Amino acid sequence: MANFRLMLVDDEERFLTTTQKLLAKKGLDVVTAASGMEALEKLNSQSIHVVILDVKMPGMDGVTTLKEIKRLFPLVEVIMLTGHATVESAVDGLKSGAFDYVMKPADIDDLVAKAQEAHEKRERLEEKIRMAQARSYVKSPRDILKQSEEG
Amino acid sequence: MKENHYSALRTKILAGMMVVPIIPFILIVLIGYYYFTSSLQSGTIAKLTRVVNDHREMIESFLDERISDLRFVAETYHFSELAQQEVLSGVFVNLQLKSSAFTDLGVFDEKGVHLAYHGPFDLAGKIYKETAWFQAVLREGVYISDVFLGYRQVPHSIMAVVKQEGEKRWVLRATIDASLFSRIVEKVRIGKSGEAYILNKEGHFQTVRRSGGELMEPDPDLKPLLQVHDGVRTFVERSSGGEEYLYATTWLKSRNWLLVVRVEKAEVFEALKNVTYLVVLTALIGGLLIVTVAFQVTKRIIGRLETVDTEKKELGQQLVVAGRLAEIGEMSAGFAHEINNPLQIMKSELTLIDTLLSDLRERGELKDSADLADIIDSLKQIKSQVDRCGGITQGLLKFARKKESQAKALNLNTFLPEVTRLIESKASVEGIEIKYDLSDGMPEVQADPAHLEQVIVNLLNNAIYAIVDQHGSYGGQIELGAKTSSDDEVVIWVKDNGSGISPENLQKIFTPFFSTKPVGQGTGLGLSICYGIIEEMGGFMEVESRKGVGTTFYIHLPKA
Repeated sequence: MANFRLMLVDDEERFLTTTQKLLAKKGLDVVTAASGMEALEKLNSQSIHVVILDVKMPGMDGVTTLKEIKRLFPLVEVIMLTGHATVESAVDGLKSGAFDYVMKPADIDDLVAKAQEAHEKRERLEEKIRMAQARSYVKSPRDILKQSEEG
Repeated sequence: MKENHYSALRTKILAGMMVVPIIPFILIVLIGYYYFTSSLQSGTIAKLTRVVNDHREMIESFLDERISDLRFVAETYHFSELAQQEVLSGVFVNLQLKSSAFTDLGVFDEKGVHLAYHGPFDLAGKIYKETAWFQAVLREGVYISDVFLGYRQVPHSIMAVVKQEGEKRWVLRATIDASLFSRIVEKVRIGKSGEAYILNKEGHFQTVRRSGGELMEPDPDLKPLLQVHDGVRTFVERSSGGEEYLYATTWLKSRNWLLVVRVEKAEVFEALKNVTYLVVLTALIGGLLIVTVAFQVTKRIIGRLETVDTEKKELGQQLVVAGRLAEIGEMSAGFAHEINNPLQIMKSELTLIDTLLSDLRERGELKDSADLADIIDSLKQIKSQVDRCGGITQGLLKFARKKESQAKALNLNTFLPEVTRLIESKASVEGIEIKYDLSDGMPEVQADPAHLEQVIVNLLNNAIYAIVDQHGSYGGQIELGAKTSSDDEVVIWVKDNGSGISPENLQKIFTPFFSTKPVGQGTGLGLSICYGIIEEMGGFMEVESRKGVGTTFYIHLPKA
C-alpha cells in the first residue's frame, strides 16, 4: 500500500474509529479529526497528504474547512463525503478545489480507491514541482539558496 | 352546496333579466290598450253625437217647414175661403207642389166640425170636437201627431195649426206622409250595426228600426232611453238581446219625439280585437324573445363562472400539491441526510466485521461450522438491507435535490421512439400496442435527455403495470404523443387504457413513498422523482385519470 497519511474528518465518532481501524488494516496511515478546527490543527502539526472531509458538520462546516485547508495547505488533496441532498455543496467543494466527492453510505473500498487517486495526483504534482525546481536550480543555483532561506 | 349556489345565482340572474324588461313591456301594452280603447270609444261617441245632431236638425227643419206651409196657408186665406171645397182643393194642389209629403188637407171650425176636406177619404161633415188631437191643437196652437199607419199602410202623421180670426178660431189640418222623414232616419248607417230611429214619449217606434222594431210597437229597450234631457245624451247600455250598445239620444225641439242613434259596442271594438290579437302576438313573441335571451345569457354567464371557478379550484389544488411537494422535498433531504450517517456507520461496521472474520479464519481461530455460515449469511443480509436503505435515501435525494441538469435542445420526434425502444419488448410480451401522436415541424424542447428518458421510461412502466392490471395480456394500448401547447411550451403525454387511478389517490400521486403496489414492489418514489426532474427542467407534470378507463400523464416542457 502506498506510503501516505490520510485524515478522516467527521463528527460521527464511531465512524471515525471504525473506519480508522479498517483503513489501518488495509495498511493506510490514518489520522482522525472530529471537527474542522481539529483537522486544521492536525494539518498544522503533522504531515498529512489526503483528507476525507464530511460536508455537514456542526461548527465549521465541510466547505469552509475545505477552503481553509486549500488556503493554508494547497498541496493537500481533499475528498468530500456527503450524506446530503446538497450535491450543490459537493459541487461547491469541487469548485473550491476538492479532488472528488463520495456519497454516503460509501464502501470502504471506494474510499480507499479515491484516496489512492488523490494521493497519486499529489505525487504527480510534487514531481512536477521538483522538476521545475530542478530546472531553476540548473539555471541559477543562487535561487535555490534564496528559496531555502525563504522555506 | 356548490350546485345550490349556482342554481340560486341562475335564478337571480334569470329573474332580473326577465322581470326588468317585462315590467315596462306590460306597462306599455296596458297603457296602449287603455288609450286606444278610450279614444276608440270617444271617437265613436263623437260620431254618434254628430249624426244625432245632424238628423235632429234635418227632421226638425222638415217638420218646421211643413208647419210653416200650413201657417202660410192659414195666414193667406180667410176661413170663409178655405171652407169652400174648390178653394181648398186648389190650395192643396199648391201645397203638394211645394212638398209631396202632404196627402190631404182639411178645415175645421171651433166646434170641431170638418167643414172642408181634400184627400182620398170622404171625411167632410164629421165632428172632431172630442178628439185628443183637436183639443191639443186648440190648447197649443200647433199639433203634430205620432206616426200611424193609414188605410194605405203608409206611415202617416197629422199636423194642425190654429188660426185666430177676430173672435173666431179655426183649425187647418193636413196629413203628411211620414215615410219622407222616416227615410232620413232609417238610412243612417254607421258600420254594420249602427242605426237611427225615433221614439215617441211612450217609447213607441215612430220609424222602423232596422234591427227589429215595427212602427208604433213599443221599443223593448226603452227603459233607459226615455229620460228627459237637454241636448245630446250618450251612454252605454245593454239591450234586451244582451248586446251592449253605445247610444246617443236627443229630444226633438219642443216635440215629444226622441231621436236615437246607436251602434253595437262589440262592433266599435272590432278593430280593437284585431289590435288585441296583434298586441298579444307581439307580447308573446317579445316575451319569448326576452325569456330566450335571458336563458341564453344566463347560461353563458353561469358557464363562464363555473369554468372560472373550476379553473380557480384546479389552480388552487395544483398550488397546494406543488407547495406540499416542495415541503416534502425539503423534509426528505434532511431526512435522507440523517439516515445516511447511521447507514454509513453500519456499513463501516459491517466491513470491519467482514475483515475481522476473514482475519480470524486466516489465523485458524475460527472453525467452519453451520452456525458460522448462518452468521455470515445474516451479515450479508444486513449488508443488503443497508444497501436497500441507501437506495431509498438516494431516491429521496433525487426527488428533493436540485440537480445540475444538462439541458439541451431535443427533438421529440426522434427522441420519444428511441426511448420507447427500451420497453418495447416488455410491452409486446404483455400484448400492448404502442401508438405515437407526433407531428412534423414540432419545436424542440429544452431538456436533459438522460433525465427525460428516465421520466418517460418510468411513466411507460407504470402504464404497462396498470394495463396488465386491467386487461391481462390482451388489448392494452399506450399512446405517446407531443404537441405545442402554447407559445413557449410543448406538452408530452403518455396515455394508457389501464386500470386508472381513484380521485383520492390522484391527489397524492407525486408524493414520495405513495404507492398502490403491494409492499416490497415499489418504493413509491418513481413519480415523485419524475416530478422533481421535470420541475428541475423548468416544466411541470399533470395527471388525468378515470378509474377503470385509463390514465394520461402530461409533461409540460419549455421550448428550446
